[in-house]
Amino acid sequence: MVKELAQKSSDRLFARIPSLRILFCLVMHTLMGCFCLKKLRHKPGYEAPINLASETLFTVNEVEALYDLFKKLSSSIIDDGLIHKFTFFEMFFKQEEFQLALFKNSNKQNLFADRMFDLFDVKHNGVIEFGEFVRSLSVFHPNAPEADKIACILYDIRQTGCIEVEELKDMVMALLCENNMSLSEDVVDLIVEKTMMEADTKRDGKIDDEEWKEFVKKNPSIIKIMTLSDLMELTLAFPSFVMNSEVRDL
Amino acid sequence: MLQHITIAEILKEEWFKKGYKPPVFEEKDDTNLDDVEAIFKDYEEHHVTEQREEQPTAMNAFELISMSKGLNLGNLFDAEEVCMDLREKQGLHLNVTANEIIHKIKEAAKPLEFDVHNKNYKMRLYNLKAERKGNLNVATEIFQVAPSLHMVEIRKAKGDTLEFNTVPHDSLITISLHFLNVSYC
Repeated sequence: MVKELAQKSSDRLFARIPSLRILFCLVMHTLMGCFCLKKLRHKPGYEAPINLASETLFTVNEVEALYDLFKKLSSSIIDDGLIHKFTFFEMFFKQEEFQLALFKNSNKQNLFADRMFDLFDVKHNGVIEFGEFVRSLSVFHPNAPEADKIACILYDIRQTGCIEVEELKDMVMALLCENNMSLSEDVVDLIVEKTMMEADTKRDGKIDDEEWKEFVKKNPSIIKIMTLSDLMELTLAFPSFVMNSEVRDL
Repeated sequence: MLQHITIAEILKEEWFKKGYKPPVFEEKDDTNLDDVEAIFKDYEEHHVTEQREEQPTAMNAFELISMSKGLNLGNLFDAEEVCMDLREKQGLHLNVTANEIIHKIKEAAKPLEFDVHNKNYKMRLYNLKAERKGNLNVATEIFQVAPSLHMVEIRKAKGDTLEFNTVPHDSLITISLHFLNVSYC
């Protein structure tokens, strides 16, 4: 608005005196700079939507919509512009379940949310910043290259670079626990062995990157969780970004 | 006494019928029922009655793990808590055979006026009541993780998503409660 007014008045008054016009524009620009400074006081870890949009599959408007979501998530307990683990966990568990999980102090119940948090916390500093949030979510975009989705980070609990039999067993147990089911160790072993037979082609008791890629090719439904179709409708889900938008997408 | 007219009655009224074109509802591409369709096309064409000797499709450990709530970021985008998003739903069953599960589904579907077609461990439920938007059709499939552990997957076909997600007494939710072991939150 201010820009337009400046334009109009400068047009009218300084139509014949170019140098004065330049001076006027300079003054207006500086004044506007002062107003814009307020906007720039973002929280730590904030990155400009334009930058993030250029590095991910999201448009600027979508990144702005994601910022809305991020603000909601990061301010629920501590308003420091970062997503902490307990906030992240809250997303997955309904309030009661979350309390129960904490009370039980059972790592198994949070095993998967833990892995998911690690996936987002690229810097491994225990918090998710806005930039990390957007970049990580970009991998879940339906149009993201499959190669990005196939990373076996999620299942590599001990972060050894590959998935070991014990890790797989732990995860199966954790899943059953989550569903309040228990199976005898024999049956769990059976399930795990069967899968390892198919995936561990080198027969070394673990699934490395290469074997994992082959396995996913044969069983594409495994990476279904790495695609969120909701990401295509971000601007519909979080329309309030329009108020603060820096850019209008075409 | 004055009463509200029902939708069925409106549809029969002459003045309503003038120039009325029944809407055609697009099937959302969320669910891919090609494989189920293919099976039933064969079934209908060749009228083969097969013995259910085959086992249900096997499900591996990673597919099982991917059912974890902790790996499903969809929760990020639930504006309201739509607890029963039944576009696609999965449930685990312990110590029940696949055939018993099929039986349970059929039993649950009977009183709710669903027409059930099944071949091996895939089933299609047709809701014959076309009162509201389109037919509410459902495809289910049973997978085997281990002989004592099965997974049932329900996918929605044509129909109104709203109807799909409505109140507890809705027929589809009743079916799901029966054999998905899903608690309504």
